[in-house]
Amino acid sequence: MILRGLWERRTLALVVLLIAVVPIASAAVAPIYSAGALTTIVRDAIREAPVEGRGWRYTTSGGTIEPKVAGFTAGAGFTDPPVFGMEVSSGSADQDDRRAYTVVWQDGQCEHLEPARGRCPAAAGEVMASEASGLETGDVVRLRSLRSARPGSATLETAPLEVVGVYRPGDPADPFWFGRTLFDPQGQPSQNKADALFTARETRSVTYYVGSGLGEQAWTDYALIRVNPDRLTGTDLPLLAEMQALAEATGRTTDAIVFSRMADTLRTMDANAGTLGVPALLVAAQLVGLGWLLLFQTVGDLVRARGPEIALARLRGHGRVRVWRFALAEPLLLLLLAVPLGLAAGFAAASLMIGALLPAGVPTTFPPAAVAAGLAATLGGVLAATASAWRVATRPVTEEWRRTPRRSARGWALDAVVLAVTALGLTELLAAGVITDASGESAGAMAVPGLMALGVALLASRVLPVASGWLFGLTRRRGGLGPFLALRQVARGPVTAGSVIVLGTAFGLATFAVAAWTATSDDYARVAAFHNGAPTAITVQPVEPGELAAAVEAADPGGALAAPVIKMPGTPQLVVSDPDRLARVAHWDPELAGGKDLAGAMAALPSPDAARVWVRGERFRLRLAHSELTENWAAQVKAAFRITGRVGPVSITMGELRGAGGAYEWNLPLPCRQVPCELRRIHADLNALGSVEGGAFVEVRVESMEVLRDGAWQPVPAPAWRVDQDPSRTDGSFGVSDTGMQVLRPATYEQEPAGIVVGEVGAKAVPGLDNAFAYRVRPAVTAAAAPGITGAGVLMDLEQADRIAYGVDEKAQFQVWTRQSGTAALEAALAREGLTVVSTVRAADLEAGYAAEGPGLALMLLLVSALAAAVLALGRTVLALHTAARRRGYELAALEAAGAKAPALRLSLLLEQAITVVTGTLAGLVAGLVAAEAALGRIPQFAEPVVTPPLPHEVAAAPVALVTGAALAATLLCALLVSELLLRGVRVERLRDTPA
Amino acid sequence: MSMVRCDGIVQIYRAQDVEVVALRDVDLVIDPGETVALLGPSGAGKSTLLWLLAGLLRPSAGRLWLDGTDVGRLDQRGLDRLRASRIGVVLQNPSRNLIGYLPAAQNVAFAQRAVKRDRRRVRDLLARVGLEDVGDRPAGGMSGGEQQRLALAVALANSPRLLLADEPTSQLDAGSGQRVIDLIKESAEAEGTTAVVVTHDPGVSEALGRTVTIRDGRVGAEGRHGEDFVVVGREGAVQVPPEYHHLLPPGSMARIEAVEDGVVLRRVEP
Repeated sequence: MILRGLWERRTLALVVLLIAVVPIASAAVAPIYSAGALTTIVRDAIREAPVEGRGWRYTTSGGTIEPKVAGFTAGAGFTDPPVFGMEVSSGSADQDDRRAYTVVWQDGQCEHLEPARGRCPAAAGEVMASEASGLETGDVVRLRSLRSARPGSATLETAPLEVVGVYRPGDPADPFWFGRTLFDPQGQPSQNKADALFTARETRSVTYYVGSGLGEQAWTDYALIRVNPDRLTGTDLPLLAEMQALAEATGRTTDAIVFSRMADTLRTMDANAGTLGVPALLVAAQLVGLGWLLLFQTVGDLVRARGPEIALARLRGHGRVRVWRFALAEPLLLLLLAVPLGLAAGFAAASLMIGALLPAGVPTTFPPAAVAAGLAATLGGVLAATASAWRVATRPVTEEWRRTPRRSARGWALDAVVLAVTALGLTELLAAGVITDASGESAGAMAVPGLMALGVALLASRVLPVASGWLFGLTRRRGGLGPFLALRQVARGPVTAGSVIVLGTAFGLATFAVAAWTATSDDYARVAAFHNGAPTAITVQPVEPGELAAAVEAADPGGALAAPVIKMPGTPQLVVSDPDRLARVAHWDPELAGGKDLAGAMAALPSPDAARVWVRGERFRLRLAHSELTENWAAQVKAAFRITGRVGPVSITMGELRGAGGAYEWNLPLPCRQVPCELRRIHADLNALGSVEGGAFVEVRVESMEVLRDGAWQPVPAPAWRVDQDPSRTDGSFGVSDTGMQVLRPATYEQEPAGIVVGEVGAKAVPGLDNAFAYRVRPAVTAAAAPGITGAGVLMDLEQADRIAYGVDEKAQFQVWTRQSGTAALEAALAREGLTVVSTVRAADLEAGYAAEGPGLALMLLLVSALAAAVLALGRTVLALHTAARRRGYELAALEAAGAKAPALRLSLLLEQAITVVTGTLAGLVAGLVAAEAALGRIPQFAEPVVTPPLPHEVAAAPVALVTGAALAATLLCALLVSELLLRGVRVERLRDTPA
Repeated sequence: MSMVRCDGIVQIYRAQDVEVVALRDVDLVIDPGETVALLGPSGAGKSTLLWLLAGLLRPSAGRLWLDGTDVGRLDQRGLDRLRASRIGVVLQNPSRNLIGYLPAAQNVAFAQRAVKRDRRRVRDLLARVGLEDVGDRPAGGMSGGEQQRLALAVALANSPRLLLADEPTSQLDAGSGQRVIDLIKESAEAEGTTAVVVTHDPGVSEALGRTVTIRDGRVGAEGRHGEDFVVVGREGAVQVPPEYHHLLPPGSMARIEAVEDGVVLRRVEP
């Protein structure tokens, strides 16, 4: 009987099924997609973590290590097979060799060692030494604590370790060696510690550790356990955290030591996961709410459509529970069918979204939360069916057969609750200002768009019948029969309220989603453009700043395509570049810089033109003239150089002042023999010799400079001089006193260089390329945003910055910015100039990255699902209007029989439907735009708050107009078709039937 | 014991802010096995009285006994049980009585669900109303006459002691209508069923044993054995039948003259 009934009402049943499937699918998409997004987050966190943050180094000195590691990794399918190893450390048996040695065996070591000479050790007692150790094949190394016994001898002697191969020190960052420093990071010989000696596993079994000296360590076993990002999923996060907790506990409770920076990685994962979870949950909740609304209306329609049957059941004396069950049977069966279909549809949709929006290889899983969300969405239908069935089962049965069903007044309780909650959420949103935490504290505020859509729709549903009733009064006298009938019907409002609520809410959410999507996409593009600096940023291996500039000059002689850039993190940040080139490639917005365009701004960053003092050779000589030094005082003259490849000044003492002047010379630092060093300052240190009376003062003047190179002294051109403490001194003189030392500097840079200042920099010193925070900048241009700057920061001339700095700190990031999107030719040209390209990031990549963060993912979910829900709401409304109008077929037939013309009836039907759907759509539009105005800028768009550039949150009118226009066009077309269909069904013959 | 006893029944509908008195002080007794035609103009309260007798409405005032049971003392469950086991109803418009997509037998069986499934009775009933050969044809596809006969079979599904029918012949041709009336009478005779039929059809009223005319919510007249009688109401009110309105039009004044077995009304001109 149930199936027959469903077939009898197949159109409505199909609509109910469809309307039930979509919210279930929408609700299920969120957890499935979130699971994929979480997988992306944890994988990215692992990939971007330093080597130590990608796994654990489990070390133990007692017992067998394999079972311990097996216990540690139990259940973790995301780790690679552990790499086992062992090591022992000892000093050399050679008294002259003070270096500490570490003898290491690690499974698979030979595949990771680059042999320079010889071979990899294969037998006990064989080792492979580092090229930096000075050892050669055939050498024998003896370590103090590593002993062995000759065959037949009971005496332990230092074990001979024969060098059978020499390797080139590998990359310390190679994950294979993680957790230990086996090679000198600089690849240079060390006085205290030799690079590791790699041996065969068997060496351990033929040697004995007998030492206990400081810094020595007996054989220990270790295992390297690495997380494989390709096998890691979001659901592994708790287990990963458990493993880290176990690792930390193991170090406290056992002899094992577990080294890892996984805790940092986990913190990153948790932070990013937090920004995803709440927005996604809120989107799902809003969609489930909307789905409930749709289901409430549609399932109610289905139950009401069975009203005559239910009335018959009551007429035949069926008990109330039986009647209720009878009324529930069909909708519940449909909902039951909708659950698997909806979940399957959700899985398919989420798979498509994951494939399209997330990195390749992210699996689509089906988390239990998806089922829960699907069931939660279904619950709305179940409640609707239960409530409708109960209402039909308990209302006076004779109502079913009345010609004019009595209207039941709609209560205000639900409206009041929704409006109160909306007001609370809105207040919270407006009072809280910008929500910087996307992880849940302001969940109520983030739900405001959905609540506002519902609230405005509820108000519109109240206003429309009242307004129609008022207009209906006017049409009594003029306007014709069509508007009269239409307005009367709308004012009666049997379908009006429900349709306006559903349409208004769905279109409200859809409008908000589209508005938010356009505004957020624009914000993403804007942030990406500024943060990347230019359309494409090519990161290269650090070189000297001058080399970077020269390479870019050579790769792009015209200067129109590329600009060299060095970025220094810090507070404030520093970005330096060639202003002329930057003006042609960087992103800029004059509105954010007081109307100044990029070329004008760059022109405010002049490059220095004074020559720098470069010296190259063995010795440096200063010819000085100075006044007589006060008695019992001595002054040592010093010269400081900037040496290529080193951060910080290297100072040499030229000698103690004597007499009235003369030549003072000293060896230049060793590297200056190979590459030019830059003279950065000359000053003197004053020392008291015994007891002194009164102060000391001496005035020194540099008369000339020479450098000894290839056995001959060569003059060094005198630069323009500057003394910071006394700007009047420009002749190469400086004063030395016990109250203050003056420093003589070549005037090669501005003391307070010009910069484009972004944000709250104030009087703070900028980091400089050497990260010394040694100078401030003069704000030449103040801007709200500048290329490459993500917070408070300064953009300045590269040459200036290079001249000021003593080297380049390792934190500096070297980039070449270009406005090209295809960078292969430029990269090749840079490579030809000796630059090593590390990575290439396009602004579009950054933009896509923002879209893949939690808020972006949640917004995408909202957009897709809200649009689908809006289409469904439209379909449901048209169906409801059609059903309601069909019920009035008798009335329409009577009107026709009484002489009403078909055009008037057509107009009446069309107007009735158009008024309802247009009101619902426009209410949605208003609600969506108001919600966008209130929420955008307050609801997080980024996982990390963006400091600069300022975000305009501009809603693009075209997409919103397109959606609204399409919705209105579709609704009016549907209204037109439905009116025509209904009109054709109106026949005077129907009057022979008693009205149903 | 009477099958139906109405004692001062008042029924008031509340439509928005207006109260409509559908029945006022209706006193009516119907004995078991009687066949009664409820007559009266549209809006007089016939259908309301029928719904009251079906236990679908509870009277606003007065008391109603059905087959000896005081309806006012029954809870909803008791009322449902009473309706299921002892009352059969045929609604106006035959299609309303049926589930259109079910075949005839299932429609009858549906009515039996609340009491006891009796397939033999289903077959007997269908045979009695001449629908034994309709097979699995859905009720919605039957002719009006067939539907009305099936509706009667459905109403008789649980061997009710009281059969209520609202305009059972209104949409039927004369032949079909007569057949339906015959079936009602046959059921009353064969099973002792009391039948109350709301009708405008003089043919139906003539075919039944008694007529009760409702006017303005009151029992205005009764007819037995071909003769109509006015009914003196609780307050002594008597409704002058419309056919005498030209002699004593509404609003006119009359003098009451006592005679041996009653009173005589004579119009006076004040």
